[in-house]
Amino acid sequence: MNEQIISLRGIERTYDMGRVTVPALRDVDLDVAQGEFLAIVGPSGSGKSTMMHILGCLDRPTAGTYLLAGTPVEDLDDDGLARVRSRTIGFVFQSYNLLPRTSALDNVATPLLYQGAGRAERVRRAKAALERLGLGDRMDHEPSELSGGQQQRVAIARALVTDPALILADEPTGNLDQATGHEVLELFRELHAAGSTIVLITHDAEVAQAASRQVHIRDGRLVA
Amino acid sequence: MSLFELVRLAFSRLRTGRLRAALTMLGVIIGVASVVALVGVGQGTTSNITERLSNLGTNLLTISAAGANGGASSTLTHEDVDALRSIAGIAGIAPESSTQATVGADGETTTTSIIGTTADYAAVRAFNVWQGTFFTDTAVEQNLRVAVLGATTADDLGLDETSIGREISIGGLPFRLVGILQPKGGSGFQDPDDQVLVPVGIVSKYFVSGDGVRTIGLSVTDEAQMDTVQAEVTSVLRTRHGIASTDEDDFRIFDQAQLLETASSISGTLTLLLGGIASISLIVGGIGIMNIMLVSVRERTREIGIRKAIGARGRDIMLQFLIEALTLSVLGGVIGIAVGLGVSALISRVGDITFSISPTTLAVALLFSLAVGVVFGVWPARQAARLDPINALRYE
Repeated sequence: MNEQIISLRGIERTYDMGRVTVPALRDVDLDVAQGEFLAIVGPSGSGKSTMMHILGCLDRPTAGTYLLAGTPVEDLDDDGLARVRSRTIGFVFQSYNLLPRTSALDNVATPLLYQGAGRAERVRRAKAALERLGLGDRMDHEPSELSGGQQQRVAIARALVTDPALILADEPTGNLDQATGHEVLELFRELHAAGSTIVLITHDAEVAQAASRQVHIRDGRLVA
Repeated sequence: MSLFELVRLAFSRLRTGRLRAALTMLGVIIGVASVVALVGVGQGTTSNITERLSNLGTNLLTISAAGANGGASSTLTHEDVDALRSIAGIAGIAPESSTQATVGADGETTTTSIIGTTADYAAVRAFNVWQGTFFTDTAVEQNLRVAVLGATTADDLGLDETSIGREISIGGLPFRLVGILQPKGGSGFQDPDDQVLVPVGIVSKYFVSGDGVRTIGLSVTDEAQMDTVQAEVTSVLRTRHGIASTDEDDFRIFDQAQLLETASSISGTLTLLLGGIASISLIVGGIGIMNIMLVSVRERTREIGIRKAIGARGRDIMLQFLIEALTLSVLGGVIGIAVGLGVSALISRVGDITFSISPTTLAVALLFSLAVGVVFGVWPARQAARLDPINALRYE
């Protein structure tokens, strides 16, 4: 359990806004061990979205090194980052971000499509992921036919289907009512108990309670 | 991602927006259909003209008196014909004088051209005799009232192989039917099968005053000698007609092979022109595809962001949109070919126009629609592939 999934060293991210450069992350060091459930907590404007983008390999740091599951990712090109996202990371977003007019099954199977898996394997694994999240009877439903909680569970199934080293959740309860939000957090705790490494990014201290460790972010710096 | 997966994805996408897909394809459908129909009609007409002209004989020189129908006003005479016979390289020579008359048999009548000629006519004009025989030189010398009918004329009068030897009337005079010609086919202007042939002396005796001839048909033994024979004919006729070297000919010579070449090159150019005009509409159809794909990229920005976040590379997105555009254009192309074939079948039935389309043309039309899909699909697809996943995910 000591293997580091995430290792950030001296991460900087500045945005070039014409004449001025705006620092969003300053000198961030962070380690996340395998099997850990970490919450990154911060108010809006604190740099937590940038943190999410860097961690999720959607963006590259301006400076610093990032080891993700043993791979240095700060110098990868776009295709390299896409491969890391495909193999190593499962995203859960605030607004679910399911493909519209696409069945739950196809939504969950899509990450496997980009891994090059065959149709039979995709269907088998997507079904298993949906069943694991109690959506066995909703596989043919399109997102518009599902409640918010159900959509978020489909999204979690999609994040899980590739067995990623890291599950990255960005305000996963933000669009849900309190009861449903609690259910989703409970789900994350179960996944954590089953061995998944989860990083939860939120502004809500109460939501962050679900995690086993919390770090706070203010003005682009991690504070203890 | 395999091509098959991409095509499946494209089809499922097109199914969710059927009306839009159909309208987008309509541009390509109309483009391809008009290319197929116009090129088909053009090629059909070309081969029709070529066939008809070569049926008239390619070794044929036709000498005609400038602006006359034969008879007293014609500058060409039987003496001219006799003089031309001595030119080397001539296989056959047949003077023709013509008139219009009513032909009748058993109460059936038809009005058609009566051509007075000699026994060489069949060989010179490349006619084969279907039934009976062509009249002989002896019949021509003796001015016998014998007639050979073109296939159409025979058909109009209800005459067939059993009618050889019977009597028919031409311009009220009795003639003996000795032969019926094989049809050459072709319709429209100047059906070569609708005519009656009689010995040349008969026409000047009963129908046209004077013994001038309208035209002289002349077949050349060797096609390579067409030019020398033509020059010889010109010089003989000029001498006989006493034309000063500064004056123009009082006759014209048509070279059938040259006419054939000119005609087929003209109609070939026309076909190309028609196809070119039609392909402009195909290009307009392609612009329609590009337009809808650009709108689609804009509308589906968020979907692109999601796909990228869950592992799609730029190339995967690019191919997805490119295959979508290609599906629209190729499907449109296939439907367009079907519509084009249907429309041309209709045109050729209604308009009595020969339609001929080669598999090559169909393949080119299909390839062209494929190319339209690639050319007009690449740019929107690149736009999609280049989207930044973060911005795309934020896009509302």
